[in-house]
Amino acid sequence: MDVSWETFDNWQVVRVNGQVDSKTVGDLRDFIDTKLKEGHPVALELTNVPFMSSAGLRTLLTLQRKTTEMGVDLALIGVASEIADTMKVTGFYQFFTIHESLQSLSPGVSGGI
Amino acid sequence: MEFERIDNIPTETIEGYRVRPGKPLPFGVSSVPGGLNFSVYTSAGTSCTLVLFSRSEASPLAEIKVPDHYRIGDVYSIVVYDLDYEDLEYGFRIDGPFEPERGNRFDKSKVLMDPYARVISGRDEWGLDPDWSRAYQYRSRVAFDDFDWEGDSPLEIDDADLVIYELHVRSFTKNDNSGVKFKGTYAGIVEKVPYLKALGINAVELMPVFEFDEFENSRIHPDTGEKLYNYWGYSTVAFFAPKAGFAASGKFGMQMDEFKQLVKELHKEGIEVILDVVFNHTAEGNERGPSISFKGLDNKIYYMLTPEGYYFNFSGTGNTLNCNNPVVRNLVLDCLRYWASEYHIDGFRFDLASILGRDPWGAPLSNPPLLESLAFDPILSSCKLIAEAWDAGGLYQVGTFPAYGRWSEWNGKYRDTARRYLKGDDGQLGEMAQRVQGSPDLYQWNGRSPATSINFITCHDGFTLADLVSFNGKHNEANGENNSDGGDDNHSWNCGAEGWTDDAEINSLRMRQCMNAIGVLLTSRGTPMLLMGDELGRSQHGNNNAYCIDSEVSWVDWSLLESNRKLFEFTQSLINFRHQHKCLRINRFDHEGSNYLPSCSFHGTKPWEVNWSAGSKQLGWLMSCDDEATGHMDAVFVASNVAHYACWFDLPRLPDEYQWQLCYNTGDRDSPSQANPTQYHENGILVGERSMTIFAASPRET
Repeated sequence: MDVSWETFDNWQVVRVNGQVDSKTVGDLRDFIDTKLKEGHPVALELTNVPFMSSAGLRTLLTLQRKTTEMGVDLALIGVASEIADTMKVTGFYQFFTIHESLQSLSPGVSGGI
Repeated sequence: MEFERIDNIPTETIEGYRVRPGKPLPFGVSSVPGGLNFSVYTSAGTSCTLVLFSRSEASPLAEIKVPDHYRIGDVYSIVVYDLDYEDLEYGFRIDGPFEPERGNRFDKSKVLMDPYARVISGRDEWGLDPDWSRAYQYRSRVAFDDFDWEGDSPLEIDDADLVIYELHVRSFTKNDNSGVKFKGTYAGIVEKVPYLKALGINAVELMPVFEFDEFENSRIHPDTGEKLYNYWGYSTVAFFAPKAGFAASGKFGMQMDEFKQLVKELHKEGIEVILDVVFNHTAEGNERGPSISFKGLDNKIYYMLTPEGYYFNFSGTGNTLNCNNPVVRNLVLDCLRYWASEYHIDGFRFDLASILGRDPWGAPLSNPPLLESLAFDPILSSCKLIAEAWDAGGLYQVGTFPAYGRWSEWNGKYRDTARRYLKGDDGQLGEMAQRVQGSPDLYQWNGRSPATSINFITCHDGFTLADLVSFNGKHNEANGENNSDGGDDNHSWNCGAEGWTDDAEINSLRMRQCMNAIGVLLTSRGTPMLLMGDELGRSQHGNNNAYCIDSEVSWVDWSLLESNRKLFEFTQSLINFRHQHKCLRINRFDHEGSNYLPSCSFHGTKPWEVNWSAGSKQLGWLMSCDDEATGHMDAVFVASNVAHYACWFDLPRLPDEYQWQLCYNTGDRDSPSQANPTQYHENGILVGERSMTIFAASPRET
């Protein structure tokens, strides 16, 4: 799994490639803890994530709490249907805004000041 | 600055893992900074090895023998650092004597499941054939106890106001026509919450959800070739873990989250969650059964044994958990506290609860410590505690279960009386009158209340309601036991033909009998319980013990919602009627009634006169109280005729400012429920053969 940072409109996009499981989730957590910029809405690009384990899904929840605290929007992009199903049955889904692609995003709330 | 605690620094390295002495409490696994604390009890074991696995791997990752000086009393505990929580599975090897005649069955070749494990893997998806060659089948995992409850807490609905709906998680939505996406799962029930809400029930009682193995005693039916399972799951593997195979997310190990989501969604709609819990025995069977956990940890502590070391069998299933041993008692308490606090469970129904009141040699105790502990527990103080007040060893305690002012009971006598009464048996009126009032003959003398009585006519054990009126005898051939299993005392009546028939009269009578049963149940004091699908006329084709059947026989057929819509609407309406009429839910035997009428009175075809003789088939009951909110009197009158001919009932007179409204008439084939009841002008009513009418008093408009 690898994680990279880019921008799209006013969004900061965290792009994840590969599966997020107990072996790799630490890298994603570290990235979120250290690389997110204040004041910009966050889009987590998951189109190339075929599988996400429980630890991965819990990291999404942590990210959701963090962005709420930062006062910025969070969007998940391209969530695989099996991951979405798991999120639905466990109640995680309701906490997120989900889009098929970056192109369907409208400008996000930047929050902050 | 933050100081690192010195009691959280590894003290040595074993098998390449940094470890230190652990804390003996809590039992099981708990997280400490940087590591996991493991703790396990064995009184007669002589050594303990912690066995670690990577997820789903057959061979261990490591075996860490817990140093002897890590033991305090009978508890081995160890902290292991740097573990991958999510990938980890673990178990224990306990060494000690194998001397069955003295009760010890230690075998260090076996890896044992942690009895406190909160997540179990190994049966992650329902019905996937297990690999029996593996040494470690039911594998302890580390739980994430986090969940966003968003302010949810147990509902604490008054016992007297409950309408309970008993359901089997898989059967409820497994059918192709259930219309849900996640069929047969916790999430499937969530999709049906709107249905449950519309029906009007306010509690679901889930048949066992503690991890069990559907493949326990699994076999192929000799004639049909159908695979038979441990379908109902009355055989616990792990008391702290929700069954993974009931979760759509079980293969990802997220059954805890999915189950919590179910509780949360039910609570949002005002529906409580009661669990059917099985503490009387375990899945380890007798001396021929597998060694899963307790048997190898401390056999003679956990099980009731004969002096020769064989298993007592008061449960009818091989072994009997030794619930009044203080160690086992604490396990049961810990377990229920965990479900109440971690899962926000509202109540528990105890399978074969009378076993929980036996001493280690099987004799009934007059003051059973476990039942007392549960009744006075600070965390369980708002939980419903419901006993199935009998066991398979001959103890029958309906009315005498040690209640400590807290326990209620499945009232088996209500079921039997109502069944006999409804099919028109002679000599039932007197006892039916007791049952309708909340069974004061059973519960008044000892200071208990009507809601002590969980009233039911059907439950998972025995016929469904539709089968109760369609079969005289059980038809359990599909269970593969030559129809010898299941109860024979069904008090059922087929209405004129055994099983399905095209005879319109018979079918019409059956429908009426279903409505009569629901009518009696919902106008009785006490807490009513319905069996899933009875509101739809669900059938098991005469099978009164479908404990092993995973097919359409057990699954709710949702197409019945259309074909039996009238029955559904009748049930729905009557549940709502019960919620509207406080007089049906009075929870005191000494209640004085309303300004005008007694709390509960009985009537025959003439008001205030009941023919109590053996051949009499007509009974009316009138319940009343004052409604402080409106200042009006609440009164409901039920006229029930179980004879095969119609009878005229004179209505009891109401004070001038009130009038009767006819709300239900099961003899009215087209409209058994009156959509908009209006003033009833007659002084009486002709109640049809095997029919009942239900009236409510309403203030006269001036």
